Amino acid sequence: MIRLLQRRLDKVVTPMRFLKRRGLEIASFFCAIVIWQFVADFIVKNEFILPSFSTVATAFFELLSSGIMLMDILTSLLHLAIGLTIATCVGILVGAITGWFRVADRVADPIIEILRPIPPLAWIPFAIVWLHLTHSAAGFIVFVGAVFPILVNTYAGFRNVPKILVDSAEVLGCTKSHDLIKAVAFPSALPFITTGIRIGTGVGWMCVVAAEMFGVSKSGLGYRIFQKFYPFHQMDNLLVYMIILGLIALFLDRFFRFYIEERLLKWRKEIVA
Amino acid sequence: MTPKKTLLIFMLIVAVTALVIAAVSFLVPKKQSLTHLRIGYQPSTHQIAHMTAMEKGWWREDLAKFGIEKVSDYEFPSGPPEMQAMLAGDLDIAYVGATPPITAIYEGLDAKIVAGVQIQGSHLALRLEVDYTGPDDLRGLKIATFPPGSIQDTVLRKWLIDNGLDPENDLEIVAMGAGEAIFAITAGAVDGAFLPHPSPAVIELDGSGRMVVVSEEMWTNHTCCCLVVSGRLIREYPDVVKQIIKIHINATEYNKNHPDEAAEIYARKVGWEVEKVQYSLNTWDGYWVSDPHIGMNITLEYAQVIYDLNKPRYDRVLTEEELFDTSFYDKIVAKET
Repeated sequence: MIRLLQRRLDKVVTPMRFLKRRGLEIASFFCAIVIWQFVADFIVKNEFILPSFSTVATAFFELLSSGIMLMDILTSLLHLAIGLTIATCVGILVGAITGWFRVADRVADPIIEILRPIPPLAWIPFAIVWLHLTHSAAGFIVFVGAVFPILVNTYAGFRNVPKILVDSAEVLGCTKSHDLIKAVAFPSALPFITTGIRIGTGVGWMCVVAAEMFGVSKSGLGYRIFQKFYPFHQMDNLLVYMIILGLIALFLDRFFRFYIEERLLKWRKEIVA
Repeated sequence: MTPKKTLLIFMLIVAVTALVIAAVSFLVPKKQSLTHLRIGYQPSTHQIAHMTAMEKGWWREDLAKFGIEKVSDYEFPSGPPEMQAMLAGDLDIAYVGATPPITAIYEGLDAKIVAGVQIQGSHLALRLEVDYTGPDDLRGLKIATFPPGSIQDTVLRKWLIDNGLDPENDLEIVAMGAGEAIFAITAGAVDGAFLPHPSPAVIELDGSGRMVVVSEEMWTNHTCCCLVVSGRLIREYPDVVKQIIKIHINATEYNKNHPDEAAEIYARKVGWEVEKVQYSLNTWDGYWVSDPHIGMNITLEYAQVIYDLNKPRYDRVLTEEELFDTSFYDKIVAKET
């Protein structure tokens, strides 16, 4: 009983324990801020070339209190959600089919390999022609950026299903392709698929800024950067939005790593760890 | 943590700090004598004065006696990146629309408008299938123009309000650059575009739209482009600034007297067909000027518009003295007369 209590107490994160565990990260973060402020104030001495940390912090609170920032974040997340949802569906479906069926792979591979290296920005004119100036056009650019990492990882996951698992399933009566995909290949490829979605989310998020440059909406982080802050040379506001872009990307990545992967791939811990 | 590890981390932090400081010191503009004149411009028929002076070698020849050994011009797709370059200290003078320098001066650009370049010169173009009899027909349409704070956006909004239309609710104004707007109207993504020449002429010649409202009708004699000179040049090299304005006046007068040659110079500079340039110059309502006093009041109105758009950020409207330095032009004109 005492041992159990002791173990529980050990798990409680006190400020001291937190500092001990994350001290280096916190110190590094504060050092970066101090260096930034020092360089901006005493070396550069020009808020246009490098706005200081304090200026950026002030700009952050002004933008936050105006309500613009929240609206922009939500619009950009909408564009990401549109693109990522379609990219996930298409990427997993095409990746699974090409990874499992050799003929499908031979048919699709040349097309995918030609389309894959085309930068998402090159698709902007077609996004305008096909989808006009709508949220879907921005979503399309995100889709182009996100679909290939998901597709390629799903493909790799299905190609790398251990043969022993397939043989065992067949011995146990699972002979149809449909059943094998559902019961063996898909669960086996899940770590690859989640990695693909994680990478795709990062790439898609990077595309959001570019996707909002061409008049698809009247809000959004990219819209605000290119249509408001940049023309008015508001470098402090611009830096705030750049940091917001980075923070949201970090949050999305951590969400995938610690929530989705922990939940979906709980069984894997027993194998790897 | 072992002392060795702590020392290693400390050394790493010091090294990173030194690296950052060294890298940043390269970013800070260094003082140098003026032997190289750097000119910013846009590939627009509005700014042919610069192209004429450049092609005929007037910049280099007439400034050589002031120690200028080299003259370079840099093309920009629009005003904001041009002013960004000037803010970074990469340009000495700039041919630019009147509003980008205002926004840049609000943000700390050390520069002044020293001469006029051109007045009016934009057109509202609509897709061929859109009927137009008056401003009321624009209700519910999607019109592309330059971003808020630009001359085109300001003129378009003022005209809509003057004609009883609410720019926020009665139609949709979409912000984009000239190239994107031409593409959007061709693709049918927008119903029309309000752009400076030669873009409206391109739309009409492409057959994707027609010019329906001339910018003079929207706001008579509104300023469009101007000549901006850095504060450093004004303070440290006033003779050079005076000569720059003289060259600009000469080039402007030359273009006015030789419009066909001006069209040829422009066509050569941007790689266009001369007939298209002539079509643009024949259909536009713009005219080239060098007098900074023309349209000065309208430029000050632009400053008010930009202030209104950024009210919590800017605490006051820029004054004539903060935006203009007409002393050089006035002295040149007084001497000539």
